[in-house]
This record gives sequence, C-alpha cells and structure tokens, in this order.
Amino acid sequence: MAAMEKREEEGRVRVLIEKATNSTAPEVDPRLLKAIKLVVRYSDSELRLAARTLMALMKRDHSQVRYLTLLIIDELFMRSKLFRTVLVENLDQLLSLSVGFRRNLPLPAPPAVASVLRSKAIEFLEKWNTSFGVHYRQLRLGFDYLKNTLKFQFPNLQAHAARIQQERSERERRSKEILLNKFEMLKENFSSIKEEIKLTIDEIGECLDIVCTKEEFMPPGPLDDEDFVEFRSSELLQIRLNTLKEGGKVHENSENKVVFDVLRELYKLLVTKHLVSVQEWISVLVRVEVADIRFRDSVLKELIDIRNNLISVKKKCEESGCALVTIANHDEEDEDFWEEGKIGSLENGRSAVPDKQNEDISMASTSSELKNRTPEGSNRDCNDNEMLNREDDETDSNPLRGKLLAEAPVMEWGSFLDNWGSSREVLANQRGLELESHWGRVDYNAVIPAEKIAELNVHATLYKEEPTETQPCRAPLRKGGVCQRKDLRVCPFHGPIVPRDDEGKPLNQNPLKDEITLDSRIDLVEQLAKQAVKNVRERDKEVTNKREIDKQSMKRAKLAKIREHNAAVLRDAALASTSRSAAIGQDMEVTNSEKSSARNKKETLSSMLRKKVTSKDRLAQRLLNTRVKDATVRELTSGEDANYREAFPNQW
Amino acid sequence: MWKEIGDREAGKLRPRLFANRIKSNRVRTLQLSNHKDIVSPHRGSINSLQVDLTEGRYLLSGASDASAAVHDVQRATDFEGGGLIAKHKCIFVTNKQHERGHKYAISSAIWYPVDTGLFVTGSYDHHINVWDTNSTQVVMNFKMPGKVYRTAMSSVATSHMLIAAGTEDVQVRLCDIASGAFAHTLSGHRDGVISVEWSTSSEWVLVTGGCDGAIRFWDIRRAGCFLVLDQSHSQLGRRPPIPERSAANKASTSKSLSRAQQRKLAGGNGTKQSPTARMPTKGSVRQRLHPGLLSSQDRATAHYGAVTGLKLTEDGMYLLSAGSDSRLRLWDVESGCNTLVNFETVRLQTSKPIQLATTQDSAFVFVPCMSAVKAISLSMAFDVWSGKTSLTFRGHYEYVNCCWFSSQEQELYTGGNDRQILVWSPSSLIADELDEEQAQDQDNWSD
Repeated sequence: MAAMEKREEEGRVRVLIEKATNSTAPEVDPRLLKAIKLVVRYSDSELRLAARTLMALMKRDHSQVRYLTLLIIDELFMRSKLFRTVLVENLDQLLSLSVGFRRNLPLPAPPAVASVLRSKAIEFLEKWNTSFGVHYRQLRLGFDYLKNTLKFQFPNLQAHAARIQQERSERERRSKEILLNKFEMLKENFSSIKEEIKLTIDEIGECLDIVCTKEEFMPPGPLDDEDFVEFRSSELLQIRLNTLKEGGKVHENSENKVVFDVLRELYKLLVTKHLVSVQEWISVLVRVEVADIRFRDSVLKELIDIRNNLISVKKKCEESGCALVTIANHDEEDEDFWEEGKIGSLENGRSAVPDKQNEDISMASTSSELKNRTPEGSNRDCNDNEMLNREDDETDSNPLRGKLLAEAPVMEWGSFLDNWGSSREVLANQRGLELESHWGRVDYNAVIPAEKIAELNVHATLYKEEPTETQPCRAPLRKGGVCQRKDLRVCPFHGPIVPRDDEGKPLNQNPLKDEITLDSRIDLVEQLAKQAVKNVRERDKEVTNKREIDKQSMKRAKLAKIREHNAAVLRDAALASTSRSAAIGQDMEVTNSEKSSARNKKETLSSMLRKKVTSKDRLAQRLLNTRVKDATVRELTSGEDANYREAFPNQW
Repeated sequence: MWKEIGDREAGKLRPRLFANRIKSNRVRTLQLSNHKDIVSPHRGSINSLQVDLTEGRYLLSGASDASAAVHDVQRATDFEGGGLIAKHKCIFVTNKQHERGHKYAISSAIWYPVDTGLFVTGSYDHHINVWDTNSTQVVMNFKMPGKVYRTAMSSVATSHMLIAAGTEDVQVRLCDIASGAFAHTLSGHRDGVISVEWSTSSEWVLVTGGCDGAIRFWDIRRAGCFLVLDQSHSQLGRRPPIPERSAANKASTSKSLSRAQQRKLAGGNGTKQSPTARMPTKGSVRQRLHPGLLSSQDRATAHYGAVTGLKLTEDGMYLLSAGSDSRLRLWDVESGCNTLVNFETVRLQTSKPIQLATTQDSAFVFVPCMSAVKAISLSMAFDVWSGKTSLTFRGHYEYVNCCWFSSQEQELYTGGNDRQILVWSPSSLIADELDEEQAQDQDNWSD
C-alpha cells in the first residue's frame, strides 16, 4: 500500500508537467509551474523523471506543446544543477527540436507558435550560454554552432545593453567637451564681458541720475505732518500716500524723452542679453568639470555678483517708474484693478486675507468697521494683529457672521490659510530665490491657475474616534463580587449591560425581572452562558457553511464561464471556417453541453492544428462538384438558347 | 583505486598491469571535456586527426577547406572563464594562401612516424605533400592519378619510409620519401581505394580497403596481394590453437601467408570447413598457386559496398573494418576470418572515409556513427566477442568523420562536419577541480 502510494507520488511530476503543457495559453500556468518546481526541488529522482518527461514532450508533434515544455525547461534549467547536467547531455536533440535547425526535422504544425518557439529557444540558449556556458561545453558548442555555422541571429541582449551604455557615455563625454569649450571661451572673454556689462550698468546709472536730478527740481508734494490731520483715518492716509508716491515718480515728457529712450534701450539690453548670458555662464560654470577649480570658483563668484548687481539695477530701473514696464505689465495692472472691485464686494463676512499687492486698498475698503477705533497708526504698514482685532470686533458686531462662524468647521492652522479664499493665479517660478537656473532656462512668467491652487489647497482631515469609556458589566457573580467584563452592549455571560448599583442589582428594571429570585437568576446566568456558547458555535458553523457555499458557487461560476467561453470559441470557429467544421459544431450543439465542453477541452490542442478552409477552397469544392457542374452547364446552355431565341425570333 | 595502489606497493600487482588498469578505468569515464577547448581554425569539415606518435603532444588535423593545422594538446595557449577553460589555439595552419598548399580538400593528414619534423597531407587536388613542420614549407610533392582518399605510413617500419596512398585510381601507390618517386604500384582493387592501413606487427604488410568492398592484404616484398578477406568465411570467437607444427615464434608474415593459402584451397573447394578441420596442405600446392589467386577468391568481398574505414588493433592480431553497408566487422588477421562479432546496430556515414580508433589494449573501439561517436567494447567473454556499445559521445552537431585516441593521456579527439575538434577526457580530471567549479554552478531555487 505504502509502496503504491510512493509510486503514485513519484509519478506526480509527470502528471503535473503533462497538465501544464496541455494548454493553448501562451504561458505556463504559474500555479502548475510552482507545483512542478516544488515537487522537483526536493527529489533528485523526480527531477530526472521531469527531465525525461520534458524531453519526451519535446518530441510531441505540436509546436504549442513544445513551446510550453521549453518554458518549463528554462525554468528548471536556470535553477537546478542536476537538471542542467542531465539536459546538456542531449542538448543537440533539444536544440533540433526547439530551434528546428535540421532540415529533415522541421518544427511541427501551428506555424505561428513554431516561430515563437524558435525565437524563444534561441533566446534561452543565449541566456543559458551567458549564465552557465563556462561550466558546460555542450552549451558553448551549441551556441557556437548555431551562431557561427548556421548563422542564426541571436538577440544579443548583453551586447545590446553594452552598446546603449557606450552610447550614453559617449553623449556625456560630448556634452562635457562642449561645456569645456564654453568654459575656455569664457576664460578668454571674461574680462571683455565684464567690461561690457559694467559699461551698460554705468550708463543706466547715469541715465537714472539724470532722471532723478530732474525730479528733484520738480516741486515736492505737500507731504507734511499737518496734512495728516486732514485725513480721518489711516486708510485715507494710505491712499494719500500712494498717490503721493505715484506723483513722486518721474513721468515721461517731451523734456526727458531722450533719456527715457536710452534708458529703455539699455534696460532691454540688460534684460534680454546680459542677464540671460550671465545666467548661462553661471550654469556652465556649475556644470563644467575642470582641473582649475580655483579659477572657476572665482569666476563663478564674480558672475554671481554681477548678476545680483544686474538684478538690483533692473529693479532700480523698474522702480524709477519709467514706463519701461508698462508695456509688459499693462494687462496685469488692469486685472489688479478689477480684482480690487471684487474684493470690495465680497468684503462682508469673509475673513479674506487680501493680496499682498492690494493690501492697502482693500483695507481702505473694509475700513467702515473700523470707524469706532481711533486712527492710532499713522504708518502705512498697519499690521496683522490689527487685522485680528478687527475680526474679534466683527464677531461681536455682526450676528450673521457669528452664526456663520458657529457653523464653520474648525481648521487647523497651516500655510494654506494664507491664500484662503483668494482666487488669484500664482507665479510658478518666482519664489524669491533666484537659483532655479541650474537646470536650464526658466519661464518666469509661468503661472499656476487659481483652480489648480484651490485643488492643491484642498485639505484632508483624518477622522478621529472619540475615546469612550466602556462600562464593566458589574453583574453579581456566584463566588462574590461583580463581573468586571467590559462589553459595549451585551455581556456574553450576563446579558445586556444595564446600570447597576454596587452590589450588582440593576438600578431601574422592569418588575418582571425583579420577580426572579436569586437562585433562578443564577440559573438564568448559567442558561445565558450556555446560550452564548451555543450562539458562538452556531455562528462559526454558519460562517463555514457560508464559505463553502461561496466556494461552490464560485466554482460553478468558473465552470459556467469556461463553458461559455468554449461555446463562444466554437461559434467563432464555426463562423470562421468551413461548412465542414460548421457541421461539426452543429453536431456538438446537438449533444448535451457538458459533453461537448469536455470534448472541446480535449480538442483545443488539435484544433490549433486544424487547417482553416478559406472561401476560395469552398468555391473550388463547389465548382468541382459534378452535379453542380452539370447544373451550371445546363443553365448556361438554356440561357444561350433563350438568347438565341430572342435574337432570331422569326426562326422559331 | 586505492586498493590497487596498495596492491602495487605490496608487489601483488605488476606495474604495467597496474598502469593498464588505471588507464582502462579512465577510458570508461570519458566525457566531453569542459576544461580543454581546441579552437579549430578550419572552415570546413575535419577529415583527419592524428596525434604525433613520438611525443603524443601535437594534434595534426586536415580539413576540407584545404587547411591543415597543428595544435599543442598539452599546453594551452590561453585561458578563459577564470582559468577554468584552457583554450588550445593552433600552433600553425597551412591553407590555400600558402603558395604551395593544397587547392582542394585535405582528406588525410598524418605525421611522419619517427619524429614530428615532417607531416604528410593528401588532398583531393591529386597531390600528396610532405611538409617540413618547422618551416611549414612543402619539401616534397607527389602527383597522384586521382583524388587522394587516404595516406598511411608504417609506425613500425625501420627499413623503409613509404607513404601508402589510396586514391580514386584502382592502384595503390607507395611513395618513397627517400627518393621522391613511386616505389610500388599495387593493383588488384577494381575500384578506388578509400582506406589504407599498415600492419602494426609487420612493417611489410599493408591492408587496403576499396570501393569495391574488398579488403586486401599486401606483402610489399612480393608481387600481388596475398589475402582477400571474405565476409562469408567466419569463425566464432577465438582462433583455434595453433597446431604444433607452426611454431609459436614463427614470423607472422609467413604464418599469414601459409594461412592464406590454406584458406584459398578451402575457398576453392567451396565447402565450408571448420577451422579445426582445415589441415595444412602440401608445399607444392602453395607453390603452384602463388602469386596469383584463384579468381573466386580474388573476387571475395568484405562488405557490401565500399570499405570506408580500417583499423588494426595495437597488437596487429585483429582488423576492424567499417563499410558503407553500415556494418562493422572484426577480422582475425591470422586466419583471415570474419569473427562474426555482433556489433549493436550502428549507422555509419556512407559517403566519406571514416577514421576509427582503438584503445591501446583494444578493449574499446571508437566509431564515428553519424553525429555521435560510439565506444564499442571489444571484450572477450566465454570466447565470444561482445560488441556492445558502452559509451556514446554526443557533442557534434553534424556528422563525425574522424577520431583519434591518445593512449598517453587517455583522451579522445573527434572531428566532424561542424568544423569542431572536440576533446573527450576522463572525468576524474574534472572531479579534482569540482570544488572550485561548484562555487558558481549551483542550484538556484529562488522559489
């Protein structure tokens, strides 16, 4: 008995392999493969048997079987040494069966699978050769023979990877060279570049000087302390200040037009040429690798200085108020104005933090609420705590607002609150630091649209369970004391949890329960315990039952699916192929469905071999059919007769 | 093995016997060598292989791309795979580019048996070239009447240096290196001569096998052949003990001569006699029948079809022949009888001459069977030869043409149509290095 079992056990790998290869799938079933590996891993005899079985399967006259077998062989080959040793003994046979290089032994029938098989076999051989060629002369021989004598094209994966690597290094080398060239050029021209930039900066400075001196001649605005008095509030003061500042700017007129023209030109030169080129140089210097680091660092330092200088000059230009920027920024300003109006209308009930740019103005517009306060700060940067105060006041004054606040969710503090409620686009590439250009040029005007910002600021909150105190059961126990079990609603031993006093008596019970004596109560307790145990058991049983039912239904569903698929395949085949195969299909349909499905499953491999008959064949068959031929001839002759009769009616 | 060494130490085992046992054990474990690669410089099928007889170190190969090459089989030129694989590149190669080289395929390349200073190549371009090994120049050239199939030089010759050449022509020619001329022209075959072998026991006896299926024995001191092997004359097992009259130390040539004439008579009578019943005949008869043979005897065939390979055992007692009828036959040279050894069915290449090899003690014969080489054991059990295939060497991807067994190192070299020269060596060599090998070649069960 034991011996028989053992034998059965021994044959298992063969069964598994046969099952795994009897499929039309392009891959071996991974579960079967795993099972095969598991069986073979712990037993050498099984491994040998597997090798024998696989070689026998390779001789099968069906490319699909061979293909799947080859996949299994590869799996085992890459893993087991013994398998390798056994297999390389017959490597020439394996190769002739999988590559089909012998003319008298071509690969068998489904040609599509056969070509896949061949390419896979060649690929595997290459892989095996690179991994284990050193240890197995046979592998080297086979590889060499296919490659050098039969001139098979191997995928050559290794060489391919090496080539890509080489290409990449080549590219890197070239870019490095270019950088180096640039660096050399910079080295040569550095002084001249510096000179040029300096010249431009100086000229701009001169121009600005001219403009400013002119401004000084202009009568200064009535900016005096007495004027403050006239303004009742800081907001008005602010507006005043702004206008004053605006007025302080030099405006272009016919007198200084020439200067402005020059300034504009210089500015353009500065922005479009010098700034860009300096940025470029810096990036080159950062990336370049040279031996002379000291020189590089000094140049880099100098360039950064120059850039900072340039930027400051640029800022100065813009600040100088010359209409240099107007061309570029005109639209933006329009927008700003429009937004101001909007904020003004939205002002009530919203704790909107106004945009930095429009801070002053919006404050001016919300100032109605601040009227009761004394204008304490005359300086224009009225600060945040003032705003907070203002909010506090609002809660008192505005009942609607208070109601809303009571409803509003409490948010944790975060940086997103800075932009709360604002629907402004954000410049993507301006973060205050100007170091982005290491990776190339940056589009400084790129914006992140408002809805995107809103999306980014969507705040996720985690639900936190509120900790609740579970009360102990506190039912009196037979041995004295009270039950200390903590359950939510029902204690499995003492029933529902009710408030009890110190001795364990329920506090407010209905009279029915009060009548129960102490003994019966103890009985009840026992009963309850039993009931609870029973309940638990029943529930377990139910769960297992349910699981089983689920499994069965799943299985049934799978079977149904397979059946359905088979039917579909059959239908397709019937549609696609000849009347002959269609007839077969009809036969099958006549027989009951289970049988037919079983037959289908068996025939899947052979159906791959079956030749599809084209419409041409069908036509040929039809034409060759003698009866049909006779009929056609008759028809044709009778047609001729009719024609004749029509043509020569008087002869009939 | 340790027991044998102990016996050898104790003096129970003779040194030679001990060596032979070790050797035969090694032969039994021959397998494709992973540690010795001969890098073949040939671009055509390899037709001939021979390790030189003096040092056992230089492997001469001739191939059908008209090239001949010499490899050092003992010292590798370079190593691969971390010293695991020894590559033997050729020392030199002569090919068509050589100004006096062969134009067509080299069918046979043999060493001069005395030293490695000369080697001889026969080619399909009708020429036999004698080369100086050191300068790789042709020192002598013989023009043959047709394609040269096989050349042979006697390894035991002390008084002559003749190259026997089997060609398309019916005549076997002996080329004398000393004079640079044909010394003999042996006629008797009715078709081209594919295989030529010198006897290993007598320097005067030459064996040739032709496309007509005949195997002829020639004594080059006399005219005509003295023996034609007939496949229908057979003996089972060992030859019967030699009668009293023919002394044990009698010269083998004369023995075979007398034997041949005895058998001739038997053949002429047409009655098949048992060897014991065959009694020596009178000397007058022998005189009358020599040198010509009876016509029926003369027409005897050893194989149906061509005799593609011949190999004399090391002791010169037996001759192994292979024919295009896919048969191997073992002949008793003394009696000239087919020993009726039942060789397991083999399939032989029919269109080309094949080169057989035997171990030193003739326990194994290596026969190229299509794309494999089979080692057929020739052990004697109960006075009957067994012809069982004991080992099959599969490694070539196309037909194997030739093999050579180096008895010094117990290595087998085979060459085939796939242009490879493979080395088959005893596995004990590999076992020594197994430890380091296992470091890389192991099971890898990741799941």
